[in-house]
Amino acid sequence: MPQASLRKEHFGKFVAAVSKGRKFFGPLECSDGVQLAELSPQDVPAFEYGNFTLPPKRFFLPRSEVIAVHGPGGMAATPPSQERVVLFGVRPCDAMSLTYMDKVFIDETYVDPYYRSRRENTLIITLACRQPAVTCFCASVKGCPAGTAGADIAASDLGDALLLESITDAGHAFLAEHAGLMGKPSTAQLKARDSQHADAGKKMSPVDVEKLPARLQAAFESKTWDDISQRCLGCGVCTFLCPTCHCFGLHDEQVGPVQRRVRAQDACAFPTFTLEASGHNPRTRQGARMRQRVMHKFCYAAENFGELFCVGCGRCIRSCPANLDIRQTLAEVPE
Amino acid sequence: MSTCVSANPYMAKPVTVQKITVENEARDLKTFRLAFVNPADRQAFAHQCGQFAMLSVPGAGECPVGIASSPLDGDYVEFTVKRYATGVVSSALHCLEEGERIGLRGPYGNSFPMTAMEGKNVVIVSGGFAFSTLRATIRYMLAPRNRPRFKTVTAIYGARSPGELLYKDELAAWNASSDIAMHVTVDKADANWKGRQGFVPTVLGEVRPSAANAIVLVCGPPLMLKFTIKPLLDMGFAPDMIFTSLERRMSCGIGKCGRCNIGSKYVCRDGPVFSYKQVLELSRGQF
Amino acid sequence: MHEVEIKMREAARTLLESGKVDLVLGFEQGSLPLRMRPCFARNAGATVGLVWNDFCANNLAAYLPGLFQKPADVRGSWTAPTVAVVAKRCDARSVIELIKENQIPRQNVVLIGMPCQGMVDPRKAQEAAGANVTACKMAPDKQVELTTAEGGVAMSPREAILADACLECATPAPQGADVEIPGPSRPSAANPYGRLSEFESLTARERWDAFVGEISKCIRCYACRQACPNCYCKTCFIEQSKPTWAGVGDELSDVLLFHIGRIFHQAGRCVGCDACVRACPKNIDLRLFTRKIVKDVQELFGYVPGMSLDEQPPLCTFKEDDNESFITHP
Repeated sequence: MPQASLRKEHFGKFVAAVSKGRKFFGPLECSDGVQLAELSPQDVPAFEYGNFTLPPKRFFLPRSEVIAVHGPGGMAATPPSQERVVLFGVRPCDAMSLTYMDKVFIDETYVDPYYRSRRENTLIITLACRQPAVTCFCASVKGCPAGTAGADIAASDLGDALLLESITDAGHAFLAEHAGLMGKPSTAQLKARDSQHADAGKKMSPVDVEKLPARLQAAFESKTWDDISQRCLGCGVCTFLCPTCHCFGLHDEQVGPVQRRVRAQDACAFPTFTLEASGHNPRTRQGARMRQRVMHKFCYAAENFGELFCVGCGRCIRSCPANLDIRQTLAEVPE
Repeated sequence: MSTCVSANPYMAKPVTVQKITVENEARDLKTFRLAFVNPADRQAFAHQCGQFAMLSVPGAGECPVGIASSPLDGDYVEFTVKRYATGVVSSALHCLEEGERIGLRGPYGNSFPMTAMEGKNVVIVSGGFAFSTLRATIRYMLAPRNRPRFKTVTAIYGARSPGELLYKDELAAWNASSDIAMHVTVDKADANWKGRQGFVPTVLGEVRPSAANAIVLVCGPPLMLKFTIKPLLDMGFAPDMIFTSLERRMSCGIGKCGRCNIGSKYVCRDGPVFSYKQVLELSRGQF
Repeated sequence: MHEVEIKMREAARTLLESGKVDLVLGFEQGSLPLRMRPCFARNAGATVGLVWNDFCANNLAAYLPGLFQKPADVRGSWTAPTVAVVAKRCDARSVIELIKENQIPRQNVVLIGMPCQGMVDPRKAQEAAGANVTACKMAPDKQVELTTAEGGVAMSPREAILADACLECATPAPQGADVEIPGPSRPSAANPYGRLSEFESLTARERWDAFVGEISKCIRCYACRQACPNCYCKTCFIEQSKPTWAGVGDELSDVLLFHIGRIFHQAGRCVGCDACVRACPKNIDLRLFTRKIVKDVQELFGYVPGMSLDEQPPLCTFKEDDNESFITHP
């Protein structure tokens, strides 16, 4: 695969060059930690970070978006965004999550035009993890701190330089386009990358997902769900911070004289998620709602898409206000 | 209209409210006859019995409603909608007047097993306004060119009171027809009611349709389903001969928004019609 | 600290063994460094897992209103449980407000009052150590020893890694609890509204800008609401559909409306427990704004929430000579 080395001192020039044709998002120190933010050539990117608070799904499935405006002739659809974007510094777990989201939004029957257009216009440059966080478990769910699934270009941080390796055609073209700023990686650099990748993988404790779909299926009516979910406060942190949670709702809103249809992410932890107009609600207990989320990821997704919809990013663990830990939840599912 | 817009699965097609029929005394059930504004949309809309569509009232939102008209009916699509005090869209639909314009997208979901039903005795058991998609099915089966494809057609339909019965003119016609054995019942009769009184499961026990070479379609409120399934099983209907239509809150209607699933199945995409065998597998027999 | 933990465990065990309570809400070891988590102990045996230390931050009162509501899927008779709560004073004050607001029956709650030296803010500890902190140990001279994943050790003054809310806490010592666990508490803060003075010194325009700047980080996950004991409304105004007060998305005006609604609903009710701030995945400083409202109510009506069961909340009373100075005309 094509490889290139980009010296960090040239990163600003790189941002400037890329910005001529695309919006460049990269890691930036913000008031709430390092976030994936729009970079200008003058910005100093933050190369040391665990992962961003919010997963990159917001670039493809925003928290909310106006999809149409109602008019006398019917609905006028919002045209899907054609904006060309580069996301630099996406962690490999998050890049892999997009390959799962693709299965939902770009299936054989119905294609979500908003999602697809953003995917097609976004180039993803991952940055391999050197120091997985205590909440990370990507290696247990098909990932790896230097994984390349979902990446157009996979980057490794080698201190004074970045090693870039293109994975997809779009990635090859991108590297070729910006070859002027880059050099050929040295043997020492390639070696450094290999040992870095090998080290990072050893730093995570494993999570047993073996036979999980079958175990979950058998435990559907287990009392365990009510026990575990006692602590659940019923907020949407795990859902909104999850890179694969994609449930949404379509709502009409009136803003001044304009009536519009909005698509907004929703969370299965909320009682309103399944509340029907009649007042009937098939999931009245928090235990049933929590079970739905866990089963959706670790059982139903396996049945429908052949994958567990979890990439081990650990956001739900890190940010749960009640310290519900999905690793423990899965371990507590009865055998 | 550009290609990307026409390919946008979330966009409703404009339809005109041609006719509104108030179906019941409580006036919370209305049948809306909708006609597509654009002939191309009409051409593209080909539904089967048991499917649903999303009805869209600008400013209020969308809701899924079963299609109450037969695919063989004219250039219109009908929906019977119940108004709920807490339902934003159903309330907005009930405020509509004839001639107004709303949106429709669909048809969505699977259908009743129309092919499997051919050459078989068809039994229909229904209560309340869940009868709407079965009304579509009966209209379809009784169409002269279709009737020979099915053996006996037996239908049991109940409502709380005579005033709550839907499609009264058609019920009268079907009562008089030899093409269908129609059993209409009410939970509670009034002074003018000359027909049957009794709950649907009770009437089912009295009618006792034969399970031989038969398929049964059961639609109604969860409680009715619960008390109907057992006698059907006792009569010899196997779980894979019993079909029902499930309801869940929906948003997209096309298997993406993740709201309507029962187990790994999406009611919008894999349903709404499921065999009782599937219901047992998916939700341990819970509706 | 260890003695306090043992005495708390004993109290919990006695309450469960004697049948005085059906449930003890306390803390157990969490799954992450510097995190304890809520524990639901339903029998004496389960009390061995109860812990008490510098990381028992959650306000457990948030779980109480739900425990006294008959579950929707229970048919027939249902008996409300009797629940003991391991409570810091701030949590106990929440319980008192909830009793006054008729959300929990007084006779069904046993308050286990804990002495409190302030809770560690894991975010501050991470910053102090500059890396993945895996452990935090008390050291002499009011210092803490922070161990990092890389094996490093950093020292920090304990005060430097305590939650802001604890540094400003006017009521750290237990009072009026049903069972009081003896032990040292930190001294009351001289000025419980210290951090507010800077905000209050701003012009109205600047305050608005500060508010908008902070709130614009919100992703509307409702963690603040769900973690807050005061947010027990059956249907939050922001989720009402008939009528709809706001859109469902993250458009700024909708987000602002949610927070303005929530913050104003805290007038005379917020005890400053910091649950909203801890729960927020975006580190939004919500407490600043609720403190302002609480301070206003204190100044206008002389009411501090959660201090006694007898004092009428200002929103439930009317006096002809009530202060009206805050009512302005456009």
